[in-house]
Amino acid sequence: MTTSKRWIPLTFKVTLLTLLLVWTLIPIIWMVLSSFKPNSVITANTPRIFFTPTLEHYASLFSSGNSLWPYLLNSLFIAGVSTLIAVVLGCMAGFGLSRIRIRGKQHLAFWIISTRMAPIAAVIVPLYLLFRYLYLLDTHAGLIVAYLSFNLPFAIWLMTAFFDDLPPDLEEAAMIDGATKFQAFRYVVLPLMTPGLVTTAILCFIFAWNDYAFAQTFSGPSTQTIPIAAAQLLTQTGIDWGKLLAIGTIVVCPMAIAGLLVKRWLVQGLTLGAVK
Amino acid sequence: MATLQLNDIVKDFGGTQVIKGVDLEVKDREFVVFVGPSGCGKSTLMRMIAGLESATAGDIKVDGKRINEVGPAERGLAMVFQSYALYPHMTVEDNMGFSLRLAKVKKAERREKVLAAARILQLEPLLDRKPRALSGGQRQRVAIGRAIVRNPSIFLFDEPLSNLDAALRVQMRIELARLHEELDATMIYVTHDQIEAMTMADKIVVLQDGEVEQIGSPMELYHHPCNRFVAGFIGSPKMNFLDVEVREASGEGINVALPGGDCRVPVMGDGVSAGDTLTLGIRPEHLELDEQGPLEGKIVVIERLGGATSLYLEHGGSEWILVADGDVALHVHDQVRFSFAPTCAHLFKGDGEALTHLHRHPLVDIDRQENRAKPA
Repeated sequence: MTTSKRWIPLTFKVTLLTLLLVWTLIPIIWMVLSSFKPNSVITANTPRIFFTPTLEHYASLFSSGNSLWPYLLNSLFIAGVSTLIAVVLGCMAGFGLSRIRIRGKQHLAFWIISTRMAPIAAVIVPLYLLFRYLYLLDTHAGLIVAYLSFNLPFAIWLMTAFFDDLPPDLEEAAMIDGATKFQAFRYVVLPLMTPGLVTTAILCFIFAWNDYAFAQTFSGPSTQTIPIAAAQLLTQTGIDWGKLLAIGTIVVCPMAIAGLLVKRWLVQGLTLGAVK
Repeated sequence: MATLQLNDIVKDFGGTQVIKGVDLEVKDREFVVFVGPSGCGKSTLMRMIAGLESATAGDIKVDGKRINEVGPAERGLAMVFQSYALYPHMTVEDNMGFSLRLAKVKKAERREKVLAAARILQLEPLLDRKPRALSGGQRQRVAIGRAIVRNPSIFLFDEPLSNLDAALRVQMRIELARLHEELDATMIYVTHDQIEAMTMADKIVVLQDGEVEQIGSPMELYHHPCNRFVAGFIGSPKMNFLDVEVREASGEGINVALPGGDCRVPVMGDGVSAGDTLTLGIRPEHLELDEQGPLEGKIVVIERLGGATSLYLEHGGSEWILVADGDVALHVHDQVRFSFAPTCAHLFKGDGEALTHLHRHPLVDIDRQENRAKPA
């Protein structure tokens, strides 16, 4: 009796999860699969699962006149630097917000995260005007600043939550052990913050890595990122599906692999404080 | 080895005073316990001594030197936290040696000192473990070991035993007392548990609402509480109280009216006159079953502990506790009469202040050192 009672919710759960998996994974699997198909197979009327794989799309991406390399490097550089700055500043600001006693702290914290709530479309024109005056259009710095404007409040907010979960007793114990405030931070707080730092870094990196709107608006010939390269394949004369799917795979895979590698920390980070 | 002085310490948190002018003198090698109900400011006071909170006003002096502006790192104190606050990413050895590492002590010397402390606390087999692989009692030992390695001028303990189960708490209490003897250091200990205070302290500081109610040896607080709060707080089960009317005040004591006849309590009667209302306080262990006794009550609950029996009595609208022998043959709803030795009774004025006893209890000035010393 009890087994059948448990059995029904279990089937329900499994069905739901299967549906969800199919829903999220099929497009990605199809994209990765198709990126290895010859053009004739991609555009065939009946979808085909078995075919002779080819690397021609990847090869042409990196060899043809318009190579993907500069886009890839731009993406890595811009996303990397903006993530690094967001994490470093977010870590310090989050520590301060979590530890220092100031009046109206929660209002300050809310104000910071509220800047993240504006949609990208709302800030894109003002930012464009600002960047034009500051000669930041078509520069790496411009895009880094643009991503920071969204990632920094997010990083501060996330790191504050992480620090709130770390008992101040530990730093205090370190200070009584003879550590300066900075030493307590360096030797005790920081090592314990790894899950928080990794979670924040990955989420910030994904935002910058995946962004299209900012890159489309602020970048120029020398600073275009991978999503722009993908968009350029959608031309009036036709769509180069093979290359497009290959770029898509290149965009998605590193993030997916990185996510898997740090899954333990990511889960720990995102559920921190939720289960206690 | 060090002394500590607090002069008129005040702590103000955004307009609310949590410490309202505390004066205290801690002698070298003394074991001082801060005790009081939660929220009385005892932990805040300790954190100010440690340098984790600043004092709004007043002086904190170690060995006569004012240290208010000195950071916690330079005060040379060690503190054991209620949560133990072990560094989770370091092994037991690294936890204990962290202060030495910060002081740039060489690795070999560091290890030697850690081993010495580990030996005192029987931690040697655990040195390579991380805190999460330790039991509560072991973590507590590591936290104490970390303090010992620091070789501090004063040890601070912030409710160190409150996260342990009852049996372990008793064991650690004894170990701490032994440690105090072995290290011969000045120790300050915060607790809300009056048994910990009574058993370990040379000197107890009773705090309430940020103010010192009384400072004294455990026996002094027990036999001569200076007010009703201390009388009720120290001792277990709690002291019984009854409002009584004064019949006569003289040099030999105060006569008060009890339901079954008057009773003369040997206290100084200055400022008290016939007709005044005072509060009589008698500890449960000083009450005796007595068929001729002046007090009467009905048994509501009986708690048999084996060696002793706690009788909860309904007496004139209030509940009294009487600790009797382990083998009293009484039942719930029985009506009993009881009495007490007048010398054990206390009288409190309307504002809670105790009237001074005419005779001091002989054990009042005994301290732990004397407790230990064998009679010659």
